[in-house]
Amino acid sequence: MGAIVVQLLHAALSSATPIALAALGGMFSYHANVFNIAMEGMMLMGAYYAVYGAYRFGHWLYGVLFALLSGLILAGIFSLLAIVLKVDEFITGIGINMLALGWTTYSLRATFQVKGAFISQTIPPIPRVRLPVVEKIPFLGAVLSSHPFLVFVAVLAAFVCHVVLYQTKFGLRLRATGEEPAAVASVGLSIGRLKFWSAVLCGIFSALAGVYLSLGYVTLFSENMSNGRGWISLAIIILVRGRPVPIMLMSLAFGLLENLGMLLQRYDVPPQFTAMLPYVATLFVLYSYARRLKTS
Amino acid sequence: MNHVRPILQTILAIVFAFLVAAIFILLHRSSPFEVYGALYQYGLGSWFSFSNTLNAAFPLILTGLSASIAFMSGVVNLGQHGQFLWGALVCAVLGVYLRLPSWLAVPLLAILGGLAGAAWAGLAAFFKRRYRMDEFISTLMLNFLAEYMTLYLATYPFLDPKAYVPATRLIRPEYFMTGVFGVNVAFFVAFFMVFLCWWFAWRTWQGYEARMMGYNKLFATVGGCDVESDTTLILLFSGFLSGLAGALLILNGTQHRFTKGIGANFGWDGVMIAIMANNGVFQTFFYALFMGFLKNGAVGMEFETSVPSEFVMFLQSIIVLTLVGTRSGIASLTDWLRAKRELGKLVK
Repeated sequence: MGAIVVQLLHAALSSATPIALAALGGMFSYHANVFNIAMEGMMLMGAYYAVYGAYRFGHWLYGVLFALLSGLILAGIFSLLAIVLKVDEFITGIGINMLALGWTTYSLRATFQVKGAFISQTIPPIPRVRLPVVEKIPFLGAVLSSHPFLVFVAVLAAFVCHVVLYQTKFGLRLRATGEEPAAVASVGLSIGRLKFWSAVLCGIFSALAGVYLSLGYVTLFSENMSNGRGWISLAIIILVRGRPVPIMLMSLAFGLLENLGMLLQRYDVPPQFTAMLPYVATLFVLYSYARRLKTS
Repeated sequence: MNHVRPILQTILAIVFAFLVAAIFILLHRSSPFEVYGALYQYGLGSWFSFSNTLNAAFPLILTGLSASIAFMSGVVNLGQHGQFLWGALVCAVLGVYLRLPSWLAVPLLAILGGLAGAAWAGLAAFFKRRYRMDEFISTLMLNFLAEYMTLYLATYPFLDPKAYVPATRLIRPEYFMTGVFGVNVAFFVAFFMVFLCWWFAWRTWQGYEARMMGYNKLFATVGGCDVESDTTLILLFSGFLSGLAGALLILNGTQHRFTKGIGANFGWDGVMIAIMANNGVFQTFFYALFMGFLKNGAVGMEFETSVPSEFVMFLQSIIVLTLVGTRSGIASLTDWLRAKRELGKLVK
């Protein structure tokens, strides 16, 4: 039994990471009052370019580099459309998600000559870290050890984001942009520029989520592999009203649920039903959020 | 002038989008002329190509209408994919087991498929009405649920044992819908639905209320609209259109059975069409034909040149983004120029 719990928690931490990273990115947009729903696309693009860079140049660092670049480019397109040309943010987001899906599907075919998925032994995955001291602790060690390092980056990022958001000048300005843009403009700051930086941060974090998906969680790229994780992260952001540490905790809850499904498969529950769990959970979370709004 | 400007904008944006895409074709070391030539040849070049374009467009018209009607009313139904799948599955399963004369069964199956889509959207409407859950996220999540549930049904209870992939059995051959001069009857059904939607939006009071709700929900409430009932109605109608698209694809597509991945990208394509059409009913029809042309031409493009058909997915999104970008850019530019002119008058 103990072994199963350890395995479950280990896997939960692992599948919570991409959701948490994307949600932390989207959080910046949330606070700047930009309705950014492009996390799904940015994540997918990041996942593709992570595999591309790592495979082409033989080192996972190139994968990270390419993924970050792709995230920045998408953030640039988002800013150009939504901030400069003033296209509806929702429409821009959907457009970017479609762009990422179309481009990665096309590139997969054009670059690697495969349909559906690109799998290769020679894609270097991101390294797994073994924590020197923690490893020795009986229960905790097994849960925390030998994860790809991005898992720890995500956990740390939650706290760093909290500090950035609530303790720095940038965070204050960003939140002010969301709450009272006129006040920000009145002290001579550019609202457009602050919104742009929020989009850039969203691009960076979502791309990292993508890197984790295609070089950490598994080592391959398949069509539409983000599979709704960006939307789940959006639901989490709305639910916890963009607070970084609760985002991390909620992501963990989702990760746990996703893997509870794997556990249920042992008892002959068809995989199609267990795969539904995160989405059902999102609906439930939405339900409890609506209930809370009603009572308060 | 009011009608000419949007058309000019559209043409400008499409030309611009094709130019952007041409750069990527050059990067692919192919000739844009050859690629676009093949696209035209196989999409519009002959009656055969043209009728195939119409056949490729009919699900897109319906999912596009579904999104347009919803967005026009300020209801963010993004669940076209799930509603489509339920429509297709219900139609495919009943098409195997139902025994009726075909003149009765075919329309019945199409309508039942539509109702299945409406029921799935109705779930989101129920959530919205009973628990105030935002339909934006709930319809999205219901897409994933529909995907897995229909896949389960096609993999276990209704599996065709002879199939290599999860698929239901072939529907009874007498239920196959036919075509007129190569154009599927389903296209005419979709065409009829365009008019029905126009009539609904512009000639009925529910449609009027829905449009008012889209302009300004508060205004509609104050004006005495029952916003909750209107939202429910719109979700049901929108779901019906998507479900109908799925059912017609089973009856009049090429496979005549529910297979894994039959939903393809019809749901999101519908959303993109509605965005390009700015939620107008007739514009939706036009853009759906345009998308159908791209999809149908893509097959020829892959056949004739080295550019894979997936390129069209990318081309579509480029067109959507440049179109909305150009439209919005021109609008804010003219606003800015007008403001400057007015300011000039005042200062002088």
